[in-house]
Amino acid sequence: MTARSAALALNRYSVAVWRRNVIVWRRLIWPSLTTNVLDPLIFLFAFGYGLGAVVEQIGGMSYLTFVVPGMMCYATMFAASFESTISTYARFSLQRTWDAILATPVTLTELMLGEMLWAASKGMFSACCVIVIGTLWGGAPSFGGALLALPVLAIGAVCFACCGLVATAHAKTWDLFAYFFTFWVTPMFVFSGTFFEVTRFPWFVQWVAWVLPMTHLIAVVRPLTAGVPLEPLTALGHIAYVAALAAAAFTLARYRFGRRLFD
Amino acid sequence: MEGTAVTVTPVIEVAGLEKRYGDVHAVRGVSFSILPGTCVGLLGPNGAGKTTTMRMIMGLARPSAGSLKLFGEPPEALGRTLRERVGLVPQEDNLDPDISVQENLEVYGRYFGIPAAEVADRVPKLLAFMQLGERGGAKVMQLSGGMKRRLVIARSLIANPTLVVLDEPTTGLDPQARVLIWRRLLDLKREGKTLLLTTHYMEEAQRLCDRIVIIDHGKVLDEGSPQALIDRHVRGHVIEVAKPLPAGFVEDGLERNDIGDAVLYYASDPMEVRGRLPLEATYTQRAANLEDVFLRLTGHTLREGK
Repeated sequence: MTARSAALALNRYSVAVWRRNVIVWRRLIWPSLTTNVLDPLIFLFAFGYGLGAVVEQIGGMSYLTFVVPGMMCYATMFAASFESTISTYARFSLQRTWDAILATPVTLTELMLGEMLWAASKGMFSACCVIVIGTLWGGAPSFGGALLALPVLAIGAVCFACCGLVATAHAKTWDLFAYFFTFWVTPMFVFSGTFFEVTRFPWFVQWVAWVLPMTHLIAVVRPLTAGVPLEPLTALGHIAYVAALAAAAFTLARYRFGRRLFD
Repeated sequence: MEGTAVTVTPVIEVAGLEKRYGDVHAVRGVSFSILPGTCVGLLGPNGAGKTTTMRMIMGLARPSAGSLKLFGEPPEALGRTLRERVGLVPQEDNLDPDISVQENLEVYGRYFGIPAAEVADRVPKLLAFMQLGERGGAKVMQLSGGMKRRLVIARSLIANPTLVVLDEPTTGLDPQARVLIWRRLLDLKREGKTLLLTTHYMEEAQRLCDRIVIIDHGKVLDEGSPQALIDRHVRGHVIEVAKPLPAGFVEDGLERNDIGDAVLYYASDPMEVRGRLPLEATYTQRAANLEDVFLRLTGHTLREGK
């Protein structure tokens, strides 16, 4: 599986898989909105309101300006991770939706691409909700920057979705996802600079933090929404890391699923 | 049917097909072929290798050895067009439970790249064909087992396939639902579609199938038309004599099968057996059927698990 074959798989068949998920999601919109939108908003409110009153300045900006981009990234990460693990695994194993789809002209790569894009879409949906609320609340001073952050968040969403698929491809039972959330989602929540700067941690935690894609994503999104200068080459470096991780994760997940389903 | 295969390209042609999962040798050299417009039944106890064989035919499992041709070509050569020509009815219902009956078909049609207008045209026809016409708007969760099964069959027909593969299409259904499905499958055959099905119901196999392939432990035990199999293995009649066998009964030379608490005797003329039984002996006599063939070939031992 190469990047080229994945790009070729981005066609009406993968879109058909994506649309299937959209249709089902419309039926289950309320519980879905609660987890993906309300959750980050509650965090935003609690930290923005609570910590914002105590912390005056952080990284040269108000705490609200600091935490809103963090929450955008967190919302993206959580929604895309959840969808590509728990929800995708339900379709793969419990509902046997994948079996039904693989009996049609849709190939495994197309199916995975459709699932991945759907998980990324949900990530973006959550991100957009946080952006709207954050902007209205005054936590994203640069409106242009917030718009520019969208494609960056999209690359992040794709990366989180691909990483989630790696976990799903290895899951034999639901138990594996407990590890996924404890060792992947939670560290990104606390160590990647969502609520305070990564530099506050000892060097070895910082080292771990920079392995996580979320740290790189926040490093680009925060200056954009806050409207502070961002070195283009540095930004590109961060984005390239996230994109490379996405490609590697998708390739690995495709390999694992291929072995698991057909061998 | 035998002997006509020379000129017609079989829809399915498998030869020496094998599948290993680690140490498990699920299929060990299965060979058979299916001619267009016929219905072939794959019979075997649980774990015989039926589903694995079907999965290989569908391209859902990679064969470990052997050759497989669909429509005269290896599956790799057909690629996507193969799936467009084959409809699958899996053993487990894998419908989308959260959306409506109609949406299930629409969503499925999109996987085949069928234009929306065409799907919209086909959906009501398929629902009517499977007697689900009134249920288009119902959620799948609200359907009975029989209706779900009919919907899975309707779904397998969305791209108008030439071959329909059905894995236990009527397991767990009540007789009414089963008879309805049989009638529809016979309609499909009349339309010229080729059917491959697995079943545990011998009556189903006898009613629907032109040919039957009996497999066990991953190997083909025998194949032929239901009647040919009956003639070959259990002759015309079965006489069941309970144990202990009557004194003075000489069973030498009779075709027999000891099933534990009774012995089954197979004879083309029932008098072959009855003539040897003492007058006061009790026995039951019936026409031999496919079930007798099946049990004779695969044994009476229970197969636990899968």
